[in-house]
Amino acid sequence: MSSLMARMKNMYTTLNAADARRICTAVAGGLVLALMTGPDGSITSPLYGVRESFLTTHVIGYIIFGLALGVLMTFRAKTKDGTWRRVRTTPRKTFVQMLAASRNALRTAALSLTALVSVVVALLFADFSGPPAPHKMSWHEIFHQFLFTRTYGYLLLVLALWFAIANQLFQLSDKRLRSFPKPALILGGLVVTLFLALCADPFLPARFSLNALSPASKHSMFHHWTTYFWLVLGAAIIIPWVFKRRPTGERRSSRQMVALTTSPSMRFLTYLIAGFVVLEAPKYLSTYWQITLYQQIGVFCLLAIGLNIVVGFAGLLDLGYVAFYAIGAYTTAYFSGSLPVQPPFHLNPFLTIPCAIIVAMLAGVLLGLPTLRLRGDYLAIVTLGFGEIIYVLANDWVRLTGGSIGTGLVSNFSIHLLGINYVWNESNPLSYYYLLIAILLPAIFLFDFLNNSRVGRSWAAIREDEVAAASLGINALKYKVMAFAMGASTAGAAGVFTAVKVGTLFPNSFVLQLSITILVLVIFGGMGSIVGVLCGAIILQWVPSYLNFHAYLGFQESDLYLYIGALLIVMMIFRPQGIIPSRRRLREFNDAEEGLGSADPLGAINQETPT
Amino acid sequence: MFNYLIQGIFAGLIFSLLALGYTLVYGVLRLINFAHSEVLMTGGFAGYFYLHYTIGQHLVSGNIGETLFYIVTGVLISGVAGTVVAVAIERFAYRPLRRRNAPKLAYLISAIGASYFLLNLAGKEFGRYPTATSQPFDNHVVFTLWGGQISMYDFVILAASIVLLVTIDWIVSRTKMGRAIRAVAQDVETASLMGVNVNRTIAGTFALGGFMGGVAGFFVAINQGVAYDMGFKPALFAFTAAVLGGIGNVRGAMIGGVVLGIVMFTPIYWLGQPWLEEVIAFSVLVLILLFRPTGLLGERLGRSA
Repeated sequence: MSSLMARMKNMYTTLNAADARRICTAVAGGLVLALMTGPDGSITSPLYGVRESFLTTHVIGYIIFGLALGVLMTFRAKTKDGTWRRVRTTPRKTFVQMLAASRNALRTAALSLTALVSVVVALLFADFSGPPAPHKMSWHEIFHQFLFTRTYGYLLLVLALWFAIANQLFQLSDKRLRSFPKPALILGGLVVTLFLALCADPFLPARFSLNALSPASKHSMFHHWTTYFWLVLGAAIIIPWVFKRRPTGERRSSRQMVALTTSPSMRFLTYLIAGFVVLEAPKYLSTYWQITLYQQIGVFCLLAIGLNIVVGFAGLLDLGYVAFYAIGAYTTAYFSGSLPVQPPFHLNPFLTIPCAIIVAMLAGVLLGLPTLRLRGDYLAIVTLGFGEIIYVLANDWVRLTGGSIGTGLVSNFSIHLLGINYVWNESNPLSYYYLLIAILLPAIFLFDFLNNSRVGRSWAAIREDEVAAASLGINALKYKVMAFAMGASTAGAAGVFTAVKVGTLFPNSFVLQLSITILVLVIFGGMGSIVGVLCGAIILQWVPSYLNFHAYLGFQESDLYLYIGALLIVMMIFRPQGIIPSRRRLREFNDAEEGLGSADPLGAINQETPT
Repeated sequence: MFNYLIQGIFAGLIFSLLALGYTLVYGVLRLINFAHSEVLMTGGFAGYFYLHYTIGQHLVSGNIGETLFYIVTGVLISGVAGTVVAVAIERFAYRPLRRRNAPKLAYLISAIGASYFLLNLAGKEFGRYPTATSQPFDNHVVFTLWGGQISMYDFVILAASIVLLVTIDWIVSRTKMGRAIRAVAQDVETASLMGVNVNRTIAGTFALGGFMGGVAGFFVAINQGVAYDMGFKPALFAFTAAVLGGIGNVRGAMIGGVVLGIVMFTPIYWLGQPWLEEVIAFSVLVLILLFRPTGLLGERLGRSA
């Protein structure tokens, strides 16, 4: 006890001004967080928002949060420089290394992590298919929200899937389960299948109720063909499993497990599952999420992978990216005759996709040719100005664009070919989604291919050291313009999809904030990594939609950019390479911090010597 | 036409004040401070609240002493608010990166983040609608010159900016701090070896630029009222002005601002479409960057584009 006291005293006496400042900063951070999440203020009653934010009880929570953060930071700093404890002589093992040291721990960690993820996925999926929450709800109602959806079915389904995969990977011991008599196992398995079919079968109109169980009822599940389909499928899985003889007491080594996860068959399985999820899962979402999936997530995925070429691959900071998006959208409007200026001929939006791509690409080349000779930060400003000019044109050149009152109605996608007549419309949001996927998937593969080709290597070379790249005979301007044009054309294609879906275009949909949002998607995900960028786009576009969907979370949409700004700073300070960085970019960032190479065409700060 | 010319000159003086912030920071850090527009916004809001609480809905009598009092105190308050925000931006968005020696792209992005954060925080706390500011003086037309009207407001801006521009020129070229700034701009490592406290000098640079930005915000607030996004466009023009005069060059920024103002506003007389001024400004920017990237007076420090 006394040693603890002595230690506490020692800790107390070694605190200095830097620690005090650190703690104060953290508390101030907590207060800023309180301000960010507090109510809106107004200039006519100054300090209203500030006062109300700090009067609520949760501000105490934020202060405690800040304090805790400050203490943690202090603790970390003090133990790192050895004031509070002896300096370690041997380097400390990282968490992963410790896990790898014991295979058992690795297994446990992997199992529990995947199980947790599957449960969360199941709950989210259940939540998506439930009704939206239009008002602030009590916890009781929130609970009901989950109860009314097919939560349990999804939960079981996902857990069963997880179990099957984990069993395959780790060869879990199912000795105890096998000790039951075989008929009981089969019967139990079939009952579980039945329950799954009842809860999670999307074709079944009935919700979980006793009515659906009794064969006498009209709504009984036994009158529906899918139930028998699931039963047969269940039996086909369960019966071989029960009668399969398998060697006991053998576990795969971790190397074998790694080999299994990267084997071609597993990769094929991953693609298969991903493809299935992308194509099938949206069918079971509610309409809100189907629309969100298209308009908020799909289109922004397309925009993000386009900007990724410019920012991630070629390393050029483009702040006017939304201009090309606007150009694509207005081109569509032009060819469907909804602008004040009439086109020579009307085109189906399908045919305007190539037109929009070409027009946006031309705009990209026209902007790129003169400006891409510039230094990176100048380029950022010039593109910012270009984005602003396009916005001003859309807003003020009324005779061309219709101005701020918007364009006329843009015609929809339609097919009139060989006797098929189909017009895309609002009532089926998924038809748009599949169309978008048909553009998005080829784009992803094309860009990935380009990045691994001669072009991609040239981009990397230019990004890392333009002078060295030029000395190797790479025409830097050509490749930069190429990246710019490709990014622009992707945005143009995204513009078509937005124009068609939204129907009427307003200049306010193409403001600078959107450029910054897309930039954040790219940076958050990880510049230069297509998977990362897609993940970033999906996560960052999904979170606000989710918060909007559930009004009880009290999220104001107007605060979105506030959080985006804060996220940008935090990412740059703590993880500039993004959540899933590309390996090469990560190395570039690390090199730059050690003063090697110029990580991007802008160069590290300390390296420039004035001439 | 003369009206537009005068409008251009006085808008240009505000651009000059703001451009100084860009040029000073660029001089020492070789960075465009994207968050500088929020310095103007803060200055504007500080001025708004100051005038709101001292004058409110009353009409000012318009005697010269009162006008002078409101202008001087308002300029000081806005300037100090701008200074505080500029230093805070340096502290939270730049210094953590500098300590880690991050690549330049990281600075740009972090500055954009800071700008967005401040912009939207102001929007959240003060509402997202533009509001008119109480007038600290009677804005009557003093005299008319060849059809161009010169108002009291123009006089105030002229006087205040001349005083400020001369002061800052003096600070940079004569004082110890100015010498430190120039030393850091020339060579960071050598300057620190010579005993210049680099961190303090950088903070001082931000503070100087911030003061000018805050004052510019005060004048914009009196003239056009305040809004959370009031900083965006003037800042873009001011950057153009800084490039026009030669970025990194203090006197260049002053001249660049006025020249840009004239170039931007005068053609509107013939074109008749006020929204074209932005198009003109950016065309100027692109042309300058293409044909004379060192600006009118030449980039005194650093390499060319």
